[in-house]
Amino acid sequence: MRKMLAAVSRVLSAAAQKPASRVLVASRNFANDATFEIKKCDLHRLEEGPPVTTVLTREDGLKYYRMMQTVRRMELKADQLYKQKIIRGFCHLCDGQEACCVGLEAGINPTDHLITAYRAHGFTFTRGLSVREILAELTGRRGGCAKGKGGSMHMYAKNFYGGNGIVGAQVPLGAGIALACKYNGKDEVCLTLYGDGAANQGQIFEAYNMAALWKLPCIFICENNRYGMGTSVERAAASTDYYKRGDFIPGLRVDGMDVLCVREATRFAAAYCRSGKGPILMELQTYRYHGHSMSDPGVSYRTREEIQEVRSKSDPIMLLKDRMVNSNLASVEELKEIDVEVRKEIEDAAQFATADPEPPLEELGYHIYSSDPPFEVRGANQWIKFKSIS
Amino acid sequence: MAAGAGTAGRLLRLRAAGAGGRWRRLRGAGVPRGFLQPASAGEDTAQSRRVAHFTFQPDPEPLEYGQTQKMNLFQAVTSALDNSLAKDPTAVIFGEDVAFGGVFRCTVGLRDKYGKDRVFNTPLCEQGIVGFGIGIAVTGATAIAEIQFADYIFPAFDQIVNEAAKYRYRSGDLFNCGSLTIRSPWGCVGHGALYHSQSPEAFFAHCPGIKVVVPRSPFQAKGLLLSCIEDKNPCIFFEPKILYRAAVEQVPVEPYSIPLSRAEVIQEGSDVTLIAWGTQVHVIREVASMAQEKLGVSCEVIDLRTIIPWDVDTVCKSVIKTGRLLISHEAPLTGGFASEISSTVQEECFLNLEAPISRVCGYDTPFPHIFEPFYIPDKWKCYDALRKMINY
Repeated sequence: MRKMLAAVSRVLSAAAQKPASRVLVASRNFANDATFEIKKCDLHRLEEGPPVTTVLTREDGLKYYRMMQTVRRMELKADQLYKQKIIRGFCHLCDGQEACCVGLEAGINPTDHLITAYRAHGFTFTRGLSVREILAELTGRRGGCAKGKGGSMHMYAKNFYGGNGIVGAQVPLGAGIALACKYNGKDEVCLTLYGDGAANQGQIFEAYNMAALWKLPCIFICENNRYGMGTSVERAAASTDYYKRGDFIPGLRVDGMDVLCVREATRFAAAYCRSGKGPILMELQTYRYHGHSMSDPGVSYRTREEIQEVRSKSDPIMLLKDRMVNSNLASVEELKEIDVEVRKEIEDAAQFATADPEPPLEELGYHIYSSDPPFEVRGANQWIKFKSIS
Repeated sequence: MAAGAGTAGRLLRLRAAGAGGRWRRLRGAGVPRGFLQPASAGEDTAQSRRVAHFTFQPDPEPLEYGQTQKMNLFQAVTSALDNSLAKDPTAVIFGEDVAFGGVFRCTVGLRDKYGKDRVFNTPLCEQGIVGFGIGIAVTGATAIAEIQFADYIFPAFDQIVNEAAKYRYRSGDLFNCGSLTIRSPWGCVGHGALYHSQSPEAFFAHCPGIKVVVPRSPFQAKGLLLSCIEDKNPCIFFEPKILYRAAVEQVPVEPYSIPLSRAEVIQEGSDVTLIAWGTQVHVIREVASMAQEKLGVSCEVIDLRTIIPWDVDTVCKSVIKTGRLLISHEAPLTGGFASEISSTVQEECFLNLEAPISRVCGYDTPFPHIFEPFYIPDKWKCYDALRKMINY
């Protein structure tokens, strides 16, 4: 009897040593999945659109929540580091647009390809790089994903082609990647993103034409956050129906603040492309809380009330959290726990990014050309030379 | 950072030692705050957070153009545009974000003063902006286009080189787009990285039919910009963006013009000729005073001002006098405009040269993000090249 009591007490004390929240979680029963209704997409030259209901599993929900929260905290940390002058140069933050990067990634495979413009930190993360590498690249250290030589606008990963500074220049590149996908025959698609400002660039229309002519598996995605730098869409575009601008290319307009809506639309678009029907256009209606870049306060061309309204009514993280909690997919405490973990991860990454050394000066001349053997780079005068190794 | 402050300290002591009455020197190392403080505020530069690679040296107040006002570079540009719009009723200003004043505040107040059909925004399309500008100019109206950064001028390269530059030639003078002026912020700025720091003047130097102008100061900027606008040829006016706030001097309020294709000899000398344009002029001015102080070498400093068509006579006359030439610019060495100057000077003045012509330029790499302080041809690199030339 005493032995049994001792054994029971041992088990109980062991159980009591587990973190209190885990005990709490283990004692609650969560639903495995839930069905949600999502907004219907506006269609252009399409008979049917993506489904209006979707199933979200608990596992997926937690994953999306964690990813979105990581992107959000990473952007806010970058803001902080910029104001401390640890990050310099240009820094374009995408907080508010997390549902776009996470939703797009959820709708495609890791073997698909993605290319975007300069507001790329979120995509760099969802495409597989760690927060450490991203923050170290922002601070220009050797631990960064581009070895510190690219900075904010030039981050790359496997099947992620950046990170491009010149507005609109990445779209013909995306069409080219799509051609390679079609040529290789592996059923891959290319997501080519651009913004509402870039949508007025001539080269985008050249890319539309080529993609449609040759039926390339290219998903053109216009991330419409309503402002091209400081110019609102009404003042920049004759037609603000960006999903219709492909004209002969079918399009859909998607609520970009709802990660599930983005996911379903992406799945639909990817299936469309993979079936060989040619390119398709998606307009994601989203919003950014920060200004265009860190030197833009973001309030001279829009009101604080507008930003507040979007934050309180359509914040992507809040929307997902409410959905999950209300349909018993997760508890508030569990999500809070994820928040704490994410915060710690970002802190560690920021610590690394601040402490890591800068790339060595010899690397100034590296990787200009692909060259074997290394050649000498002419320097500021005829007596200074650097080696270019690639 | 500490090394930078050390350099700044050394620099100030150098300047204090060599301070003459020629220039009204303002304290500071290119940091705007420094210019607002009186010169007697002390020699302590440790308070400045960033040390620029140059020190802006203002010219003496011009007395022959009437009343002057203290202006920085962007205010001088605004003043020039204001004068143009007032004088010429067909003048229009357009570009990305110019209506609210521009990202560098060069067009502040103009829309309110002249109306929204004369100062207006365009969508994000450089090729469209320049093509559109050529169209306006061909009908005879004055078009002043802004390309937001010189790095973004490349979508418009075809329009400039193939349309604007060749219009008069191919129509046998029946048509021309001479009343087009394209303004664009240019050059390194300390944190610009690959796409906010480029100096593309060399690309356009290869194109007969256009004029390319780079000012070094507010007074020069206003005069040269007004000349560009009035010039009957398409002009590209590059404004050194790092000088927008850093350069402050007295600038006449009334319009005046500085002739194009005329280089200016800022300082006369007898041993070496130093040539630069834009921000780099201030770097070589410092190098000239360093050379005088440390080596007893007398330098002739020339600001080229107009890149094409460039003032061959002034440069060659100077080289004939001194026998040594150093050219410096931020753009990469290979194919940079220094190569054209070097080539022409050795053709014209071969027997007068005492040493090979020295070019101190940026590296042949894209403009780096983290490596910028090592990339730019700062005064130490120029001084080193000068010393080697003297000892040749």
